[in-house]
Amino acid sequence: MPDIAQSPQPKILVLATLAGGYAGADSTGQSHLDYPANTYVLPVMCPVMFPPEFFVRAFERGIDGIIIMYSGTDSPYKVEADGTAKLINRTYQLMKERGIDIRRLRLAAICTVCVKPFLKEVNQMAELLKGIGFVKNELASRNASAQGAPA
Amino acid sequence: MPDNDKLKIAVYTCYCGGNISDVVDCEKVAKAMGSQPDVVVSRTDMSLCSDAGQSQIEQDIRELGVNRVVIGSCAPTLHEVTFRNALIRAGLNPYLYQHVGLREQDSWVHSNDHAGATRKAMHLMKAGIAKARLLHPLEPIRLQAEKQALVIGGGVAGLRAALDIAQQGLRVVLVEKSPFVGGRMAQLEAVFPTHENARDLLRGLIKKVVNHPGIKIYTQAEVMGVAGYVGNYCAQVIQHSRGVTEENAEALLSACQQEVPDEFNYGLTRRKTIYRPYPGCYPPLPAVDWDNYQGEPISLNGGEPIVLEDVPTSVDVNVGAIVVATGFDPYEPRQGEYGYGELKEVVTLPQLIRHLALSKANHALEWNGHPVRDVAFIHCVGSREIEGVDEPHEDGRINNYCSRVCCTATLHTTEELRQHFPGLNIYDLYQDIRTYGRGHEDYYRDALLGGVRFVRYHGEEHPQVTAASAGDTHPVLIRVKDSLTYNEELEIPVDLVVLAVGMQPRQIDKLVNMLKVSRGTDRFLLEVHPKLRPVETAVNGVVLAGTAQGPMNIQESLSAASAAAAKVVALLGRGRVELQPFVAAVDAEKCNGTGACVEICEYEGAIAVQTFTENGKEVKRAVVTPANCSGCGACVAVCPNHAINVQGWTLSQYEAMVDAIASDIPNMAEVA
Amino acid sequence: MKDLKVDALVVGGGIAGMQAALDLGDQGFQVALVEREPSIGGKMITLSKVFPTLDCCSCITTPKMSAVAHHPNIKLLTYCEVESIQENEKGFAVATVQKPRYVDEATCTGCRLCEYACPITVPSSFDRGLGSYRAIRVPFSTAVPQIAVLDMDNCILCGKCEKACPVDAVVLSQQPEPFTIHATAIILATGFELNELGAKKEYGAAKLPNVIDPLMMERFLSPTGPYGRVLRPGDGMEPTTIAYVQCAGSRDKTLGIEYCSRVCCMYAIKQAMLISGALPMAEITIYYMDIRTFGKGYEQFYQNAKAMGVEFVRGKVASIHEDEKHNPIVKMELTEEGRIIERTHDLVVLSLGMIPAVSSSGFGLVPASDGFISVPAPNASPTVTERPGIFVTGTAGGPMDIVDSIVTAGSAASEASAYIRSKTMIAESQSEVAYA
Ligand SMILES: Cc1cc2nc3c(=O)[nH]c(=O)nc-3n(C[C@H](O)[C@H](O)[C@H](O)COP(=O)(O)OP(=O)(O)OC[C@H]3O[C@@H](n4cnc5c(N)ncnc54)[C@H](O)[C@@H]3O)c2cc1C
Ligand SMILES: Cc1cc2nc3c(=O)[nH]c(=O)nc-3n(C[C@H](O)[C@H](O)[C@H](O)COP(=O)(O)OP(=O)(O)OC[C@H]3O[C@@H](n4cnc5c(N)ncnc54)[C@H](O)[C@@H]3O)c2cc1C
Ligand code: SF4
Ligand code: SF4
Repeated sequence: MPDIAQSPQPKILVLATLAGGYAGADSTGQSHLDYPANTYVLPVMCPVMFPPEFFVRAFERGIDGIIIMYSGTDSPYKVEADGTAKLINRTYQLMKERGIDIRRLRLAAICTVCVKPFLKEVNQMAELLKGIGFVKNELASRNASAQGAPA
Repeated sequence: MPDNDKLKIAVYTCYCGGNISDVVDCEKVAKAMGSQPDVVVSRTDMSLCSDAGQSQIEQDIRELGVNRVVIGSCAPTLHEVTFRNALIRAGLNPYLYQHVGLREQDSWVHSNDHAGATRKAMHLMKAGIAKARLLHPLEPIRLQAEKQALVIGGGVAGLRAALDIAQQGLRVVLVEKSPFVGGRMAQLEAVFPTHENARDLLRGLIKKVVNHPGIKIYTQAEVMGVAGYVGNYCAQVIQHSRGVTEENAEALLSACQQEVPDEFNYGLTRRKTIYRPYPGCYPPLPAVDWDNYQGEPISLNGGEPIVLEDVPTSVDVNVGAIVVATGFDPYEPRQGEYGYGELKEVVTLPQLIRHLALSKANHALEWNGHPVRDVAFIHCVGSREIEGVDEPHEDGRINNYCSRVCCTATLHTTEELRQHFPGLNIYDLYQDIRTYGRGHEDYYRDALLGGVRFVRYHGEEHPQVTAASAGDTHPVLIRVKDSLTYNEELEIPVDLVVLAVGMQPRQIDKLVNMLKVSRGTDRFLLEVHPKLRPVETAVNGVVLAGTAQGPMNIQESLSAASAAAAKVVALLGRGRVELQPFVAAVDAEKCNGTGACVEICEYEGAIAVQTFTENGKEVKRAVVTPANCSGCGACVAVCPNHAINVQGWTLSQYEAMVDAIASDIPNMAEVA
Repeated sequence: MKDLKVDALVVGGGIAGMQAALDLGDQGFQVALVEREPSIGGKMITLSKVFPTLDCCSCITTPKMSAVAHHPNIKLLTYCEVESIQENEKGFAVATVQKPRYVDEATCTGCRLCEYACPITVPSSFDRGLGSYRAIRVPFSTAVPQIAVLDMDNCILCGKCEKACPVDAVVLSQQPEPFTIHATAIILATGFELNELGAKKEYGAAKLPNVIDPLMMERFLSPTGPYGRVLRPGDGMEPTTIAYVQCAGSRDKTLGIEYCSRVCCMYAIKQAMLISGALPMAEITIYYMDIRTFGKGYEQFYQNAKAMGVEFVRGKVASIHEDEKHNPIVKMELTEEGRIIERTHDLVVLSLGMIPAVSSSGFGLVPASDGFISVPAPNASPTVTERPGIFVTGTAGGPMDIVDSIVTAGSAASEASAYIRSKTMIAESQSEVAYA
């Protein structure tokens, strides 16, 4: 019997707005459509609250991919559309500095009935991670190369 | 409860009557959670939302001194409030509760991967526990609420909602875009199922509304902006000039020369640009149609020609809640759809109803000056469209819903026709007859007995409507496969084709954006939950009435309007509302008043840096005004001191959740 | 039982009555909710999942039941029967009887030890006779209130429950207790019953074991049901071909039920979808005249069922008989082809129509032509009956689904609250006059 405790697959974290992605994830559930179980959706009010360091920290702790599912211009928050885009750019900057593949972080506008787009995002990230593997390995090889490099 | 009390967490994993437990091994999850630090009890339940389930939670709080509760069950939208209330009953602050969605986001989407789903449940629950450790008691924000409501739309639904709200002692502002109230119902004649005259019925309702001292009506008015929040919305209402006065109205009306198609008669007739749609309308004063009146001078009794001018006025109204009752438009068939727009013998049902009203006195039915001997009705025009069969509309959508009213409206109309014009041959081309309501089936039966010829077509294969060849007895030929007669190909020559068009929502994009309400795939306004909260939207304090939400007949629109009114009264009746406490909060210890938060914040009056004198020293610190704070958290990301957080959704809580998801579940070997 | 004075009395604790009580209670009115069964919840709590969202029905109903029970303005009175309604200048005086539970409501904790001790097993009405329960029992697992009730008709007075009860709540000497509820307004939410399985003689007259009613199918499909799976009541076999006969007892002049029952098309499609989930190999056929999926999202639901492979066959079923293995044989005319065919199925569900649960005359009302409570002005006041102060909601006023029941509950609550306010205002102005 397989040990269900240990996750054999990379972990995907979805930060989904209550007004958008989280409701979209619920709609997907109501439609009983399957997607990979290594996906963890956490509700957020609005993604602008996260500083770039938050994401880098998450990768360093072992989250392999993060999708921000926000409500885009349909958001109840004025700042969400622009603010999130800016946040992503700053985070990509920081990820590059830390040697993390920026494809591990994605932004998608998902509404309450966006069942197909939700599935597409999740499946794409899962596919990507199959290709680029665990973030742990990426960080380890980065550290290794950093140490190996001449001072 | 003091914060430094020892943490005692209770964890519950709900079976959801099999919905979760068929896929997730709830017992294993519960067992694994039982060994998490600070967890004093971890249980499963068949249905935690049941009275027994809730009592169990209360009992654990009381008897085990539980001070944090984590529940894995259905989506939080369904039962978060239910469980918070259970905490309140047991004397615990309701915000010491963490909800984990294990159904919509786990068992229902990983039905082929039981082990994966179980593992995911463990991680999600562990994350819930991690957040629960960092929860603090919160108090809802209590605000005074305006005891006044805004009703947008003055059709039968809006009028009824306004009346019901006012009758409970609240004030109402009713905003109607057109110059007259009554909406689409005013364009009907005898209505099913009672055969009463629609305008007589409306008049009774309008009289009550107009006479109610608590209701203020603005016609030719629109809501241009909405600010604020439940209990305290401020709406900007722009009202156009009437253009005429009591004194000059009749003279202007007769002097006005310019004519445009009359939308009251769906373009069958023309009217002046100063007009009354029908005798007995409300308000009785004629109005200028500013969209079409282009400043032409009008001569009164040979005097100086005058030019009428629209001077819109703006008022701000403060309301606690908003009822959206913007109604429907009949579906406008595309050019060429069943010959519409190409053959003049093809009309819509609403047009036919107006035509009959206009030609009431006639003994024979005529169309276009020709007698009508044979007429065919086609059902489901612009409704029940099928993906892959029917062409998408301009916005790429398919009207795949049933418009619910058209079957009965059609059969009701055939009854009127049979009574007035006994010799008329009537064909009825349908897919399914949906005469569902009280008395509706009688129309169907009477039509069958009364000689209406029913032809059943399939949605995949529409009837073809073409011009007849020259010399034919009738101007139009319909070809259709009739599944009632073993799919026989019929050719039906007719004088008139009536399209039973469906309903679609009005163009209200601006309003939708302003109010931040959602629409469904059918483009009608969306309720939070069709069963639990059928007339409320996801925006607190905004409710729906009538056909803005979906097709309904008059009776159903009235019920929905009254139900919406009941929600408004429950919300505002006491003069105060409670808001969720999820707003920014400043940690006074860490804040040194840098003001980065104030700079980034986009909400008027939500946050400001103030100077305090403490121990003789001047200190600067950010201060939040909760009622104006949206809780977006833009300030959280920019604070250099990590001194600000959204209550109930703090960064450290997220970090703890991320760690839980990233980690492995300890002691799994023994559990699994 | 003490007499009670409230603003509004709601009769019937199904979804419509519960919602009406909540809507009034939330507006600050004092409400009494009288239910004749030992638990509230009505038909809805017995359903499996509900169309069109396929939510777990219990997940939607139980919180409402619980909200009613916990509401500070609602007094819940279960296992009570309304005897008569008298009118006086203050409103209504409603003679009500508390039926004996033979269990003390205040002391019973719902621990079910009595149930485990009881030696008598009777068919469970909650499970529509498919499962069984004891002569003394908590009515069902999610019942509100969680209080045991003893069914004296089946009790042999062995006294085992009395001994088993840890709090001495069993009181075999209880008697019916009459009391009066004084109310300004009344909302009737007495609901519906399914027409009898045997009502149409041609459809087997309730004598064929594998022809069942749709509420039985709900219990088969429900996670709280007696078997937790779908089977043939005749022999316990798993059915592989299942048929639904639509309009079985609705739209049928011979039965005097000419109206459409509105929900049977949708529940048949819903059940067909749920069965194909539970028994992926099963072939499901729906025999129909018209498919009436007119509600919001319902047409899409119907199209989904078609896409899932549920077979829809148009035609009027003439009769049902069975073969020697008790397999029901459906005889019908196929309208699309004009032939008469016979098809054998393992299980047939009759999509029975709705009939009123009570006679309107008991409330001093003249029933509508369909037998349900009438509303004289549907296009003006859809929930107002002919008797001032008495309102109607849900299926008591005619067939409808849950959404419509909830909406009409809001409407009835609005009408009732306006009525109560106008009455109290008159009363207040009169007392001012008297004072002057
Ligand atoms: C052909 C046909 C026949 C029918 N026959 C019957 C029948 O016999 N019996 C029956 O019961 N039902 C019948 N109906 C249904 C009936 O017409 C509707 O149920 C009813 O009119 C719906 O009322 P409403 O208030 O929801 O919408 P509407 O009547 O559309 O009213 C909406 C109002 O809102 C206003 N509005 C729109 N947008 C704005 C805005 N942005 N700001 C301010 N105001 C705005 C509009 O001007 C309008 O006055 C029929 C429908 C059709 C199409
Ligand atoms: C097989 C089947 C499946 C269905 N599936 C769905 C579905 O999936 N989705 C959906 O929306 N709808 C569905 N429905 C319809 C749904 O069941 C009804 O719309 C709903 O239950 C009606 O609720 P109600 O409160 O009006 O009536 P009821 O549920 O009948 O409640 C009436 C209550 O009043 C009580 N009562 C009666 N008389 C008295 C009296 N004199 N004194 C005191 N109390 C009294 C009764 O005991 C009962 O508790 C289904 C119906 C059937 C038959
Ligand atoms: S009510 Fe009748 S005509 Fe209208 S869309 Fe539905 S089935 Fe078609
Ligand atoms: S809902 Fe469908 S099955 Fe039921 S009576 Fe109406 S048409 Fe017949």
